[in-house]
Amino acid sequence: MKRFWLGLILFLCFASSEIVRSVYAQESPDGKSVMNEMLTAYYYSRQDAKSEVFMRIVNRQGQTRERRLILLRLDETDGGKQSYYIYFHEPPDVQGMSFLVLKHPGRDDDRWLYLPSIDLVKRIATSDKRTSFAGSDFTYEDVSGRDLDEDDHELLDEESLGERSTFVVKSTPKRFGEVEFSSRKFWIDKATHLPLKVEHYDLKGMLYKVYETSAIQTFQDTPTITKAVMKDLGSGHETEITIKTISYDVGITSDLFQERLLRRPPTKWIR
Amino acid sequence: MIHGFAEVASSPKFLGDERTDKDEFNLLEERFQLKAAYRPAKPEWLVSQNPEFFYKGDLLVDEYEEAVRYKIREAYGLVSPFSWMDVKLGRQILTWGTGDLLFINDAFPKNYESFFIGRDDEYLKVPSDAWKFSFASHWASADLVLIPFFTPDVSITGDRLSFYDNLLGRLVGEESDRLLTEPSFQPNNTQIAGRLYRDFGAYEVAAHVFKGYFNQPKGIKNADAKELFYPKLAIYGASIRGPVPFLGGITSGEVGYLDSLEDRSGKNRLIENATVKYLVGYERDFPKDLRLGVQYFAEQMLDFDEFKINSQSGDIPRDQFRQLLTLRITKLFWRQTLEASFFTFYSPTDSDTHFRPRLTWQTSDHWKFTVGANIFLGRHDWTEFGQLEDNDNLYMRLRYSF
Repeated sequence: MKRFWLGLILFLCFASSEIVRSVYAQESPDGKSVMNEMLTAYYYSRQDAKSEVFMRIVNRQGQTRERRLILLRLDETDGGKQSYYIYFHEPPDVQGMSFLVLKHPGRDDDRWLYLPSIDLVKRIATSDKRTSFAGSDFTYEDVSGRDLDEDDHELLDEESLGERSTFVVKSTPKRFGEVEFSSRKFWIDKATHLPLKVEHYDLKGMLYKVYETSAIQTFQDTPTITKAVMKDLGSGHETEITIKTISYDVGITSDLFQERLLRRPPTKWIR
Repeated sequence: MIHGFAEVASSPKFLGDERTDKDEFNLLEERFQLKAAYRPAKPEWLVSQNPEFFYKGDLLVDEYEEAVRYKIREAYGLVSPFSWMDVKLGRQILTWGTGDLLFINDAFPKNYESFFIGRDDEYLKVPSDAWKFSFASHWASADLVLIPFFTPDVSITGDRLSFYDNLLGRLVGEESDRLLTEPSFQPNNTQIAGRLYRDFGAYEVAAHVFKGYFNQPKGIKNADAKELFYPKLAIYGASIRGPVPFLGGITSGEVGYLDSLEDRSGKNRLIENATVKYLVGYERDFPKDLRLGVQYFAEQMLDFDEFKINSQSGDIPRDQFRQLLTLRITKLFWRQTLEASFFTFYSPTDSDTHFRPRLTWQTSDHWKFTVGANIFLGRHDWTEFGQLEDNDNLYMRLRYSF
């Protein structure tokens, strides 16, 4: 009987500490792991993807510019090497241009642009990742992801955003002044790990740019952001990105991502 | 899908050079371009070869030449008979090499007249009627190009741009009546160009070979009859391109040995000597859409002693090493809708310069307005840019794309 009680006490001790530990882990993950989950869910969903993307860029006067492109993506490992291929269908003056990006975490991307009218494969210098992507309010880093280790991530809070409950994470660049923001504040959906809102604060600490997800749809069991807006508060400029179609794990292979692909767009994929 | 543009372009001359056909302008034209790509979805046997048919043609109302012309820029079919092979047959634009507006191993035809009078950069490249075979493998990739019909560079003839005529020994315009003889159309006059390339990490490495003709009339057949010709040429070269560690940016290097097959000893003063050309380039981007590019180019004349011994009075003096520097500055403004670009060629050995400032404003997805200038300076009349000194021009283009 004595041994029974001892056993029960020991069991309860262990069990409760396990329960406490797991509850603790669930309630308070650290900012970095939340951010890492977001990067994986957003930029590395599944193995590969083919999507048709539509961008609408609107200036303060309400004039719009539009881009329609096909995006092929292949991941080597989650959070690791990635290849992107972009083929422009619209607007007319860039129609037929294609763009190849080989992303290597920890060093500059390799980027090439193909100009069909002069059959030129141009290598693009990529020291500055904060340049605008195709004239939009999204930067290259917004489109292809910023390295996790470039920033310190702090879990600030948990909040409800509409019907979704979110983690609020503040990301502060490790090297102040290297990029145009001093910090970014993310609202990350607990269920899908996707970002629902991102506020960008400039070097003086003023809010100047806001990203907001306006639609999430599930394709092949994968929650996917299908509409999002980036607004520049100072200029009144904004860009809306719409994913018109997307399919995952379509069998894109690494041998596609070569110069040949630029000079000879793959009929099968760019339709 | 059909796309294209309509464009008006005009280029008044600063200096009103009276040697050429028109005194006040270099360029006054309306252009209408249509392009169409067709990728058939059947029959099945063809679809499996990834077929593509492409056509692009320009209707040009040229008020300088007072003529209306229709030119097919591209018209080709492209199929992949095997997963590792592409065949592109027809009229096509061909480009390779690492230079920015400088070419060593790219022996495909150019139109420097268009380049100097302010047409779009697209028109620097002249299409070739060719077969292009591309081979891909994990080890390396290769291109083999066969060009049965010789297409030279569009030569500066004096009608539109005045230049130094070595047969007359002075700057000339439309009175130049040189006769340019092209190689005849025969199977064994087919030009061949090849490229073998692969990546080593982030570095692209290529070996090049070419056998054909000089694209410019570098041979004098008969000086009295003012008859020039395109001598035989072989090029053997290599290039490399990749990122610069720590500093960032892209660097490139290219070299080519141009074997002048009809004057291998360099003793014939009427034919261009063999040369070795070297090119080193560096380009880097900076925050706020600023890009800088610099290049150093050198052209080493081989058999220079023979050249000096055999030169006669009146021949154009040459350096053993001709050197050229280029600088490109590009900055984008207004959400990348306004591009300011400045390109300079400067040769310390020829003491000549060519400035190419340009502003391009993309007012909408359809409208584009371009204004720029071509300015030439030189100490001597006979150097590449110095000879064009009287052709300075300011150009404007308005384009609607659809």
